[in-house]
Amino acid sequence: MFKTSRLKATYLNTWALLSLIFVLLILAPNVNILINALKPGNENWYHIKEYLLKDYIINSLTLVAFTGLFTVLLGTTLAWLVSVFEFPFRKFFKWGLILPLAIPPYIAAYTYDGLLNYTGVIQTFLRNSLKISVNQKYFNIMSMEGAVFIFTAFLYPYVYIITKSFLEKQSASLIENSRMLGRSPLEIFFYVILPLSRTAILGGVSLVILEVLNDYGVVKYFGIVTFSTAIFKTWFALGDIDSAVKLAAILMFMVFAVLLMENLLRGRKKFSYTTSKVRPITPLKLQGMKAAGAFVYCFTVFSLSFLIPTLQLVYWAFLAYQKVLHVKFWVLIINSLSAALVSSVLVIAIAVVIANYCRLNDGLISKIYSKITTLGYSIPGSVIAMGVIVFFVGLDRRLVWLYHMISENSSKLVLSTSMAMLTFAYIIRFLAIGYNAIEAGFARIGRKFLEASRTLGMNVTQTFFKVELKMLQPAIISGLVLVFIDILKELPLTLILRPFNFDTLATKSFEYAGDEMIHEAAISSLIIIIISAVSVYFFYKIGDREES
Amino acid sequence: MYVEIKNLNFKYKASRETTVVDFSLDMEKGETVSIVGESGSGKSTVLRLIAGLEIPLSGVIKVNNKVMVDDSTFIAPEKRDIGMVFQDYALFPHMTVAQNITFGLKRLTNKEKKERLAEVLELVSLEKFKDRYPYELSGGQQQRVALARALAPKPSLLLLDEPFSNLDADLQKKIREQLKHILKCTGITSILVTHDKEDALSIADSVVVLKEGRIVRAGSPAQVLA
Repeated sequence: MFKTSRLKATYLNTWALLSLIFVLLILAPNVNILINALKPGNENWYHIKEYLLKDYIINSLTLVAFTGLFTVLLGTTLAWLVSVFEFPFRKFFKWGLILPLAIPPYIAAYTYDGLLNYTGVIQTFLRNSLKISVNQKYFNIMSMEGAVFIFTAFLYPYVYIITKSFLEKQSASLIENSRMLGRSPLEIFFYVILPLSRTAILGGVSLVILEVLNDYGVVKYFGIVTFSTAIFKTWFALGDIDSAVKLAAILMFMVFAVLLMENLLRGRKKFSYTTSKVRPITPLKLQGMKAAGAFVYCFTVFSLSFLIPTLQLVYWAFLAYQKVLHVKFWVLIINSLSAALVSSVLVIAIAVVIANYCRLNDGLISKIYSKITTLGYSIPGSVIAMGVIVFFVGLDRRLVWLYHMISENSSKLVLSTSMAMLTFAYIIRFLAIGYNAIEAGFARIGRKFLEASRTLGMNVTQTFFKVELKMLQPAIISGLVLVFIDILKELPLTLILRPFNFDTLATKSFEYAGDEMIHEAAISSLIIIIISAVSVYFFYKIGDREES
Repeated sequence: MYVEIKNLNFKYKASRETTVVDFSLDMEKGETVSIVGESGSGKSTVLRLIAGLEIPLSGVIKVNNKVMVDDSTFIAPEKRDIGMVFQDYALFPHMTVAQNITFGLKRLTNKEKKERLAEVLELVSLEKFKDRYPYELSGGQQQRVALARALAPKPSLLLLDEPFSNLDADLQKKIREQLKHILKCTGITSILVTHDKEDALSIADSVVVLKEGRIVRAGSPAQVLA
């Protein structure tokens, strides 16, 4: 008997080593947070804990709970309508209802405020044309209720998409059987569809919750104190990094609790249909009032969460384009695109290395690696930002001697004031998206080409470059696009970690909005929305077609 | 002996039972041996062990007096000089027939590559198809490309994993004759895994029958399969 592990290690060296380095780099800032959280707190921390922490927790939980509830209601009913019934414009709504995903909630937040406030279109119209003065209380969206509305309207597609595809794939004959057993559509919804799609709904709603906890733009603009805003305030206003890290650690534990709960609730109930043959549901044709009702419901949601805000932004952009479109604006676009491009290329390169290593070694280590790789997407931007800052300031402190060797009057902080820090944070946060795409790509290729190539005298690395890279191309492109767009939209990380005077489309929109220059914010917001909408359309519409 | 395999044992990580138990086999140069067994008998695993795609728990494999695997050595598949025709061919879909066949000829000059390509294309009678892509070929043609690709680097041993299983019945018989002819022409030493006794009867010089990972019978085709 001899030890096989030793033999295997010899021919995967480079991939194994690189993967290990990447995984450790991803892990370091997060571990940093957890370790720093255990240090005894200072005076600020005592103050925060005594007087403020309760509010942070209550506000964050309130947002999460109500947004979660409403997105489930909206997402499942819409998914059920478009997959089980036939009514006017159903085909359009099927993917049109996904479009709100293209509008980042912070853009929606300031758009709705601009739409509804005293000088907004609605009130101006009521005042000037109808001579109606409204009670400001009912038109103030900058509240907890308003934030729940924004999150619900722009995040429900997560629940909708997952539930819809689940229903389409899983339930044709179950629904038909229930119909033949004499159940009404409403009964079927409550007794068959809801329980059956529990896992799908849970998956969707936990994405929503993670997005809400990640949000900084909406709550900051609306002046609601949550963990995200508190972390930044503690750090920026009080200059107290230690307390900020402690808050980040608590938020991180909340996220872990969410993930754990999802796992527990899901439990054994991973329902999946027992036959492999998937038959599309034959939709039930709705008549008269019912058809009109279904249409009105879908159209209302679509208007509120896509049509109205987009039209409003187009109008504002029209008013302001002459003021905004000058040289600085092109700098902004180049900044955004190059930051997103460089980071997404790095994300994909790292994802390819780790995914290839994990697929060649199906052991415990691979499982741990892929868990760590995909963890970043669950961790809120504010937490990653704190972790990355502590990590980079520490690095700078250790590298001062090197900086002085290179240049006499170099500053003490080099890495932590450069693009490297922001890029690093992007990689941690969005690696999961790239990794999932690449992993799926590798799964589609399988191992047979690698094996064939090895019996023809090529080693793992040669095979990768000569054979698999080419076959992986679709996965690489789709991963690249997804990551690129997410980075383009990203706000909290960019806001905190960008070098001095570095603006992107996202940060500039947010700054304009914060400075009451809503018209000026419209153009950069629209660019983000258009690029995202094209990709949303591309991925879900094309993806749909491929499946059918 | 040209090929010496002694007491090979193997278990897949996920499975409880040992997939291959004490497998031993000796072969003369130029001989064709057929490993026959039902699906799940471990016959394909034996091929993968010989190719170096799996690492045995214990055992020795020697080809042409060179140790491939023993207690202290493991030669990576790309360094073994053993060719393999895969059950589903595994032709690289983004490469033409010619590119597929010359893929394993990295040490040759371009001129030598061309000559070798012409030789093996003639051997499998696919001269006209060298610029086609795999998806533009029929199943039988794809199978011959896979064979040509494995033969091109002149391996010291050729492994064939169920080479006829993806072909329809009347094609199987024709291709079987062609394969027999090609193997005899090149004089290559080969191991053919199959679940079909007729394949073994018509092509192999000797036969090994595998059941639940163990050799239950071995000898000449007529003796063993009668």
